[in-house]
Amino acid sequence: MSVSPQAPEIENDSMEDRLYTVKYEDPGDSHLDVKVASICADSCETADCVSICPADVWRREDGEGVPTIAYENCLECSSCRFACPYDNVSWEYPKTGAGVTYKRG
Amino acid sequence: MLDERAGDAALEAPNYDNEFDAIVVGAGLAGSAAALTMANRGLEPLLVERGSYPGAKNVFGGVLYTPTIRELVDLDAAPLERYVAEKRFSMLSHDDETAISLKPGEWHREPHNDSYTVYRGEFDEWFADQAVEAGATLVTETTVTGVIREGGDIVGVETDRPDGAIRAPYVVLAEGGNSLVSEGASLKSPESRENIAVAAKEVLEFPERSGVIEDRFRLVGDAGVSYQYFGEGAVGEAYGGGFIYTNGDTVSVGVAYSLEDAATKRQSPEETLNLFKSHPAVAPLLRGARTVEYGAKTIPEGGAESMPSLVHNGAVIVGDAAGLVLNNGVHLEGTNMAVESGYYAGTAIVEAAERGRTEASALESYSERLEDSFVVQNLERYAWLQDRVEEDRELLFEQLPRAIADASSEYFTMDRRPKEMHAKAAKQRVFDTLGGWKGATKLALRYRKLVK
Repeated sequence: MSVSPQAPEIENDSMEDRLYTVKYEDPGDSHLDVKVASICADSCETADCVSICPADVWRREDGEGVPTIAYENCLECSSCRFACPYDNVSWEYPKTGAGVTYKRG
Repeated sequence: MLDERAGDAALEAPNYDNEFDAIVVGAGLAGSAAALTMANRGLEPLLVERGSYPGAKNVFGGVLYTPTIRELVDLDAAPLERYVAEKRFSMLSHDDETAISLKPGEWHREPHNDSYTVYRGEFDEWFADQAVEAGATLVTETTVTGVIREGGDIVGVETDRPDGAIRAPYVVLAEGGNSLVSEGASLKSPESRENIAVAAKEVLEFPERSGVIEDRFRLVGDAGVSYQYFGEGAVGEAYGGGFIYTNGDTVSVGVAYSLEDAATKRQSPEETLNLFKSHPAVAPLLRGARTVEYGAKTIPEGGAESMPSLVHNGAVIVGDAAGLVLNNGVHLEGTNMAVESGYYAGTAIVEAAERGRTEASALESYSERLEDSFVVQNLERYAWLQDRVEEDRELLFEQLPRAIADASSEYFTMDRRPKEMHAKAAKQRVFDTLGGWKGATKLALRYRKLVK
C-alpha cells in the first residue's frame, strides 16, 4: 500500500510501548482461560481470539494448538470472549481492583 | 472517595445484610445515576465498583451527552474537557477524503447542545462522588462475582471480599457491556459477535508546544470537535469507522468496527488503528503526537432487538449491560441512554420500596418509562438500519466513497475541455456505481426512513 506524499510519517508505538501506557496490577493468576483445551487443539483452525486481540494476549505457536495467554497484557475489552465461535473462552473480572487501570479512559 | 467505614468494615467482614436498600453493580454513568436517584429520594444504596476508582475500567471514545445528567447534578463543577463545536463526517477511500463539516453558531452558546468530551477516568469518579454526597455508599476494588438467589428472586450479590456476600432488596446491574454477572445469573444471554463492535483507541498529546490542538482543529477557548470517518480508508473492509475527539490537552483517536468483520477478515484492531492514523486525511492532524494511553473495548450494538429483559424479581439491568447504545452511523450515543436508564431504574426502585415490593411487576415502571423515552424509541427507529447497511456494506463503505471522490476530482478537473464534459463524466461515475437512475432510486428508497 503506497502512502500519499501528503501523509506525514506517523510513528506508531510498538505494542509493547502502547501497553506500557496503561497501569497494571497483576492479580496473580489469570482471569482468562480456555474452557476445553481439546477444542482449541483439535477443532479450531482460525483462532479468532489471536487475530482480534488488541493487546497480543492470545498467541498461538505455529498457528496451531492451544493458545498461550499473556493475561497481564489484557486491556479487559472482552473481544476474545465474544469472538470465540466455540464459546470456549473463560473470562472473569480480575479481582480486588487488579488488572488494567485507565487514568483517562 | 471510598467510604472508609464500609470499606474497612467489609474487609473485617461484619454482616451488612439488608443494611442497604439496594446494591448497584458498577459505578459508571448508569450505575451512579441510579445510585444518585435513589439517594436523592431517601434510600441508601451501595455502589460497588471493581476498579480502584469509578472510571478506572472505562474506555471511551465519544461524547458525553448531558440533557438528563444536567438535571441531576451541577455540571459547572464537573470535569468536562471541551464542548463539541464542530461535527465532521468524512468518507475515506484509499487516499481520498470527502467531508461535511457542521458548525452551528448555537453550539458555542451554553449549554453547548449538551455535548462534551470528557475523560471517563475523571468524570465517572466525580459523578459517583455526587451520588456519595447525596447519601450513597461507594466501595471500590470490589468485584461482584454473582447474584444471590432465593427461590426465583435475586436477594443480593456475591463479591470477592472475604465473606463477601451481601443482601439487599434490590440489585441494579450496571456492569457494562461485558456483563458477566447478568449472564451468569441467566438474566441475559451473551451477545453474538455480529452485534458487537471492537474498538481500539489512543489518547495522544502534542509534546512539542502548547496550542497545537487549537491550531490544528481551529479552536478557540473550550471549543472542541467530533470527527467521524467512514469507508475503507477508515477501517478497511469492515463495517464501522474511525474517530477523533479533542480533549483539553489531548486528542482521542480510534477505530470501532464489527467484531464479526474483525474475526472473519483477520483485521486486528491495532493494525486497523495504525492504518487509520496513517491515512493522508488523518495523519497531518496527528503529526508529532505521543501516545499517553492505549485502550480497547467492545461495544454492544445490537440495538432494540438484542435488549435483554430489563426487569427481574429483585433486579434491573441498565446502561451498556442492557445494550443501550445507538449507532446509526450518524448518531453515536450511549452516555445519555445510560444516565436515562439509571434514572428510571432508580425511580422505579424508590416507588417499589415505598410499597415494600421487590418482584418484577413492581419494577415494571422502569422498562415502561424507558420504552416511552427517547432511549428505546431511538433504538426502535433505527432497528432496520443495521441489517440494511450490512447488506450494502461494500457499496456504502467502499464503492460509493471511491465513486464520489473520483466524481469530485473529475468535476473540478482543470484542463482545456469544456465543463459540460467533466460534469457528465462525474455524474456517470456515480451512476455507474449506483446502477443508474434505477439503482439510485432503489438506494434512496432503502434508506428513506432516515430522513422521515
